[in-house]
Amino acid sequence: MSTDFAEWLRGRSDEQLRELVALRPELITPVPAHVEGLAGRASSPSAVGRVLDRLDRFTFAVMETVAVLPSPIACAPLRDQVARALPEPPGPADSLFEARFRETLDRLRALALVYGPDEALAPAPGVREVLDAPAGLGPPAAEVFRHHHRERLAELIEDLGGAGDSKEELAALLACRETLERLLEEVSPQARSALDELAWGPAGGRVPNARREVRAATAQSPIEQLLARALLGATGEESVVLPREVGLFLRGGRIHRDLSPVPPPLGGVERDRALADRTAAGQAFMFTRAVEELCERWSIDPPGVLRGGGLAVRDLKRAATLLDLPEWVAGLIVEVAHAAGLVAASGAVDGEWLPTPVYDAWKVRPAEERWVALATTWLTMDRVPGMIGERDERDRLRSALHSDLRHPAAPEVRTTTLGLLAAAAEAAPGTAGSGEPRVTGGARGARGAQGRGVRKPAGAATVLAPTPEAIRERLAWEQPRRRGAHRDRLMEFTLREAEQIGITGLGALSGHGRALLPAVPGGEGGGRTAPAAELLAPLLPEPLDHVLLQADLTAVAPGPLTGELSRWLALAADVESTGGATVYRFCEGSIRRALDAGQGADEMLAMLERHSKTPVPQPLGYLVTDVARRHGRMRIGTASAYVRCDDPSVLDEVMADRRATPLRLRRLAPTVIASKTSRATLVDALRAMGYAPVAESLDGDVIITQLDVRRTEGPPQPRVPVVFTGPDTDVIAAAVRAVRAGDAAHQARRRPVDAPAGQVPRSPATATISALRDAIRQGSQVWIGYLDSQGNATSRILEPARMEGGYLTAYDETRAAVHRFALHRITGVSEIQA
Amino acid sequence: MADGPLIVQSDKTLLLEVDHEKADACRKAIAPFAELERAPEHVHTYRITPLALWNARAAGHDAEQVIDALIGFSRYPVPHALLVDIAETMARYGRLRLEKHPLHGLVLTSTDRAVLEEVLRSKKIQPLLGERVGDDGVGVHPSERGNIKQLLLKLGWPAEDLAGYVDGEHHPITLAEDGWELRSYQREAAEAFWHGGSGVVVLPCGAGKTIVGAAAMAHARATTLILVTNTVSAHQWKQELLRRTSLTEDEIGEYTGTKKEIRPVTIATYQVMTTRRQGVYRHLELFDARDWGLIIYDEVHLLPAPIFRMTADLQARRRVGLTATLVREDGREGDVFSLIGPKRYDAPWKEMENQGWIAPADCVEVRVTLSDEERLAYAMAEAEERYRFCATTPSKTRVTEALVRRHPDEQVLIIGQYIDQLDELGEHLDAPVIKGETKVKERERLFQAFRDKEIRVLVVSKVANFSIDLPEASVAVQVSGTFGSRQEEAQRLGRVLRPKSGGGGARFYSVVSRDTVDQEFAAHRQRFLAEQGYAYQIIDADDVLAGD
Repeated sequence: MSTDFAEWLRGRSDEQLRELVALRPELITPVPAHVEGLAGRASSPSAVGRVLDRLDRFTFAVMETVAVLPSPIACAPLRDQVARALPEPPGPADSLFEARFRETLDRLRALALVYGPDEALAPAPGVREVLDAPAGLGPPAAEVFRHHHRERLAELIEDLGGAGDSKEELAALLACRETLERLLEEVSPQARSALDELAWGPAGGRVPNARREVRAATAQSPIEQLLARALLGATGEESVVLPREVGLFLRGGRIHRDLSPVPPPLGGVERDRALADRTAAGQAFMFTRAVEELCERWSIDPPGVLRGGGLAVRDLKRAATLLDLPEWVAGLIVEVAHAAGLVAASGAVDGEWLPTPVYDAWKVRPAEERWVALATTWLTMDRVPGMIGERDERDRLRSALHSDLRHPAAPEVRTTTLGLLAAAAEAAPGTAGSGEPRVTGGARGARGAQGRGVRKPAGAATVLAPTPEAIRERLAWEQPRRRGAHRDRLMEFTLREAEQIGITGLGALSGHGRALLPAVPGGEGGGRTAPAAELLAPLLPEPLDHVLLQADLTAVAPGPLTGELSRWLALAADVESTGGATVYRFCEGSIRRALDAGQGADEMLAMLERHSKTPVPQPLGYLVTDVARRHGRMRIGTASAYVRCDDPSVLDEVMADRRATPLRLRRLAPTVIASKTSRATLVDALRAMGYAPVAESLDGDVIITQLDVRRTEGPPQPRVPVVFTGPDTDVIAAAVRAVRAGDAAHQARRRPVDAPAGQVPRSPATATISALRDAIRQGSQVWIGYLDSQGNATSRILEPARMEGGYLTAYDETRAAVHRFALHRITGVSEIQA
Repeated sequence: MADGPLIVQSDKTLLLEVDHEKADACRKAIAPFAELERAPEHVHTYRITPLALWNARAAGHDAEQVIDALIGFSRYPVPHALLVDIAETMARYGRLRLEKHPLHGLVLTSTDRAVLEEVLRSKKIQPLLGERVGDDGVGVHPSERGNIKQLLLKLGWPAEDLAGYVDGEHHPITLAEDGWELRSYQREAAEAFWHGGSGVVVLPCGAGKTIVGAAAMAHARATTLILVTNTVSAHQWKQELLRRTSLTEDEIGEYTGTKKEIRPVTIATYQVMTTRRQGVYRHLELFDARDWGLIIYDEVHLLPAPIFRMTADLQARRRVGLTATLVREDGREGDVFSLIGPKRYDAPWKEMENQGWIAPADCVEVRVTLSDEERLAYAMAEAEERYRFCATTPSKTRVTEALVRRHPDEQVLIIGQYIDQLDELGEHLDAPVIKGETKVKERERLFQAFRDKEIRVLVVSKVANFSIDLPEASVAVQVSGTFGSRQEEAQRLGRVLRPKSGGGGARFYSVVSRDTVDQEFAAHRQRFLAEQGYAYQIIDADDVLAGD
């Protein structure tokens, strides 16, 4: 542990320390015992990683510059180095850049990422280790070539035109401008272009047989030319890296390029605020209704839970058809309903997806509250509905509601993305004079057409709807460490899902959507903090209690219906089209369905009359009475056996007999009795009562009974024994090849040293960590005790290289290879006695 | 919350509340890009289809207007996705264009090279194309102009046909407006067609489609080929043209089963055109017989498949299709769009009725209850005989007679499908029967006698479904039909829709057997008219018989 850093921290004022822990709350959970403890925690890889994640691109670039330049460094050269990365280098009097630079440096110091006075700035301990490849640069030459044996180093140095056999001497040569210029002159143009590819990172590449030991005189291919001149160094059997000194030279002394001290502007389309809010509200209404419709359907016809959990693709498709929505929207609805606790799997085996009691409580709340419940669920859930239908790393289809369909970063990406929209919404000019929406940035194509399509009343407030590209760029600037294809996708999912749910409208954040988000620092405080439900309620359509009935047997509900009426119509008519309104169609089948559910014809006609704004059309009334006339004329029941007899008096007798009670007989007609018992039981019982019944077949023939002679289904299938033939010949060949190759590489390199005899070292965990960190810094070797994966205590000689995420990466002298060691399995560290 | 008359549904249907004060303005705004699907009494349903959007583009509307109309009249917020979809769909039209190139003849060009490349990769399109003309164009064989348009439509990249038309052989034709004049909608329809170059005019039965055809001819002033459904209809066209235009008897030729005249204006029947001898269409040369400047397709919804194929070769000539019901049970509306042309004019039936151009009509479905013996026989009938059985049951005959007695002073048409049934009815009612085997002369004599009110009741088979002009018929009784055909029902109603000299209304009875397939078919048949706003009233046959 660096004592300088601890001393510097100790020298900070109380206020500065308070600011530090406010910005990095993880440093005080739990509270460290002393400043050394705080310093230790502040320089731990996980803590440093977390705070680096939160830096914007400019701040991060300054941090990287500090880490790349030799420490300590004074403020002025640091400023010059950063300034060089700007597309147009600022003059000495550029006040904007100057102010941003000072502000950034102060922030890095406040975060305890950079320490020391202006004349001697240094990165906090741990930062260099976490910044694996700062600014995409490779490791310094001394590190790249540390494992080359002395003979090889001597060869390289000789080819570089120097003398010596240590990695430091090699590094010194590579740091020399003239040497590099000369070396670059020597190599072929192909080799030069290969270097240029690596110059701006990533600095590593893959080549076969990277460890070949070629000399400048005999080098053939471009890669060999570079390897022979130490312009590339091997880091593994098949990987090479550009040493940092070479990288910096190729970059012309710059560490970054195209750096901007201010965030890129958010380009987008200006939208009418009221229209955006209204569109979002319309969508919110549709979304809430779709969830309800889905739950209602699943109440009656629930889909099964897949054996591995989740919802079958077929069932998702069916839901999409039912809701008349694209599949991904159906997936979103299903996931949100599930995350909100409205549906859940029933039972462990052969379960079904069913609405929960929570749904019943949710259903009766006002629409705006229902929406808020769904929208907040979506904001905070770690599920990623957008991934439904994709294949996972094992090529299995990701199904909806499956437990794997999650990503821990999802809620954070949603909040960040929408936060950006919120900032855009508040930054947009409140009123714009022109009649045309202002198009800023790269809005093109359909969006452009859209923009023109939206007429804005003069003087109305507008809101900015940034384009996805602008949002992506802005997020990349604000959180450079958190970028990646995956986060970009999460961001895209967020935007399209927010539009579907009705948090955004026409791409702009709505008022009620804004109210769901945590307050933006520096944003307007008052007037915008009303709860989302209150903002949304006036925008939603009022539920109606009437429909328009028409002679073509349709009913049109020109808006949402009250609960009772909508349930009744869903029963008595088929839905033909949904949206702002609902179109129902009455047909024979739907009327029969209502009759089956116990509705009477008069009752139905009364219901129609009560809720129709217009007279009930004659054909509809006729349809209802006509279907009702025929309904139930035939009756169907179940009986397992019957008695028939041409003489009704005999059956009268049977019915009257008390012994017949357990047979559960029912007289269907004068000459027919039905029974719930089986035919055989009935025959036996009637015989016992003194009658002489005979059994009858399905065709009415008399069955002659005789003793049953029974047989089994068929001869048993002989079991064919499975002969084990051992693994495939291909597999054997591949395994042997791998072993041979590993062995050859092994022989060519240093022989492993023997582990020292004696007691395996033991030391307390904190001492272990700090001893390892010291060893990393000094590049020294240590002797550790290590529990292997079988729990056996072993001992190793290591040259630690990096410590992160609970793992130590080190060159294992006893195995002659680089390995990762779990820190918690290291039982102790001790220095090596020379 | 805005209170517009329009509700935009997520399935791209538009619901228009007719009683709303802004309903008329809204109808005008959305009509260019949405198909009227249903027009019952309170809420009309329009549908936005790709075809309708391309129609609108072809007529010069752009996506902005469409979106403005939707947002401006919508009661609820319009889903964003729908607007994006509209913009994208409309942007597809016109990316490809068929043009005349001074050197290379007919050329398919594109403003978007990627689209052209996509289209060129299609295996079906390749054989129709010639050599590349520059980077953005490719030659098209002139004979494939129709086929390529059809295929491009199927690929979703409809081509804008800017290659123009040949003028054809000039022939002077003017309208002779003596004692009558072109109605406003007829003029609008003819002009809409003329400005569009080619296309379809949809007008209700009885609204005077023939006159629209005549007006189109007066615009073209060129030799004209008219294709009609049957010989009687051909005669009617001829009579109408003689009465309404400057054409004389000598200038109009008939090309039918009996006569084969080719004159500056020639009227041919589909039947003759599609007659084959030894697998060859013998009368195809008619299309090349003259340098036709205009081709009129009457009842375009019935256009048979061979005519479609021939029409594909006639893309350089102006074409107009006339129909009352652009519903095809075979779903070939897309072929009509690409081969004849987009819909150029459309007027809802009820609107025509309100303006007095067609007679108001009451539609009544009379439900006949089968007797017990009939029910038993029906239950035992073979599946394919069932409809015939229930459609021709004797109970119907009694009811039909009673209905005829109900209207003692009116001209009554009885229309049916099955000849036995019609013969029986003719016998009972002492009325002449017109069927397939009736000679054309005899048919015309009977129709004339009916027009002159010498005959009060006429029994006709499906030969009289279309194009028969019987202005004085005010009552039609349908006893059986071609299963569930929607357009047949509409056409049959059309027989009584000519405005009456007394200004009275018309009545259309459909006699249906209760609880049989007849009832199911009837429900389907009535869909089109019910959606046009004709509310069927249902009455029991017993009430008819009791009132007798």
